[in-house]
Amino acid sequence: MNPLAAAVPLLFLLLFAYALFKRVKLYDCFTEGAKEAVPLILSLFPYLAAILMLSELFERSGLSGMLTKVLSPAFRFLGIPPEISKLVLLKPFSGSGSTALLSEIFSAYGADSYIARCACVAYGSSETVFYISAVYFAGIRKKRLLRPVLIALTADFLAVVLGCWLCRIM
Amino acid sequence: MFPPPPLSAGTKFHIPSPSLINSSVNGIFAIIFLLGSALLLFGDPDGFLSALLAGGQKAATLSLSLLAVYCVWLGFFKTLERCGLAERFSRLVYPLARRLFRSDDREALFLASGNLSANLLGLPGAPTPLGIRAVRKFCEAGAYESADMLFVLNATSLQLLPTTVLSLRLAAGSASPADIFLPTLIATLFSTCAGVLLVLATRRRRR
Repeated sequence: MNPLAAAVPLLFLLLFAYALFKRVKLYDCFTEGAKEAVPLILSLFPYLAAILMLSELFERSGLSGMLTKVLSPAFRFLGIPPEISKLVLLKPFSGSGSTALLSEIFSAYGADSYIARCACVAYGSSETVFYISAVYFAGIRKKRLLRPVLIALTADFLAVVLGCWLCRIM
Repeated sequence: MFPPPPLSAGTKFHIPSPSLINSSVNGIFAIIFLLGSALLLFGDPDGFLSALLAGGQKAATLSLSLLAVYCVWLGFFKTLERCGLAERFSRLVYPLARRLFRSDDREALFLASGNLSANLLGLPGAPTPLGIRAVRKFCEAGAYESADMLFVLNATSLQLLPTTVLSLRLAAGSASPADIFLPTLIATLFSTCAGVLLVLATRRRRR
């Protein structure tokens, strides 16, 4: 069993018990917090929609395929198997897309192959950077917005390179 | 006599900020959008609108499921606050968070450290509402460097247990699904360190 599965209910149980002990009105308090979710989601929605439309367009137009082809030799040079380069490119845009791609890689090459292991590490050590930036910086007018995004992309890419190398020796 | 409308005096000096702000992100958005539309125009014109609609649809379903997740965690956090536990937690992590984010904003620091703790614990969905509020608080106070640091920490994934990968791999019939755990952990730790160092290295000088 996943040890985390027990952690979440335990956390809630401890908190609610403590809240009762402190004579906090649990229902009032919980709903007051939950109420904040609605404006939060409303403020996120336009940015989420734009980014997800963009990532859909990126994939369906064949742009990601072309970019994959162009970048594959460079990836190979860095030790990233060309089979997973599409995953590396797609991950910053779309979490669900790259999850689908990961299971495709599993069925094409076998879950225990070197390629699949590289794909796992690439998937696990990078994040959906564009999506996270859309959510975290939604509606914030800020100069140099690209800088943190570029930093995150660079760091995640370096991790993929390192991860593929680690898969070879571990 | 009527007093002069207060707006007219102010508007003279209130020149709307140029759209150069965010221009870099706007640029990327425009490039991918234009290239993608052009490719689809010649390759698959029917696919254009359906791609946009599919994206919008995803955003709609995602927002609904996020709404559920955020309701749970924001309710949880409000209870935490009311009990006085949030205050205690924030006093505990304040010295460390202040150094990491280089900010004195108590509330933003509390939200940011809550975000990091929830990330480390791998509580699904919990880090985001805290992170968003922390970033907004930092930006309101003009502490953009702190906001960048928090974003980079989140976008380089601090998660200790790659649960999605493990379960997918198990489902695909792997003999030892956990053997990617160590390389992933090393790689993700490395990316977080690299991200933090890059933020510090490209930091603007203090005024």
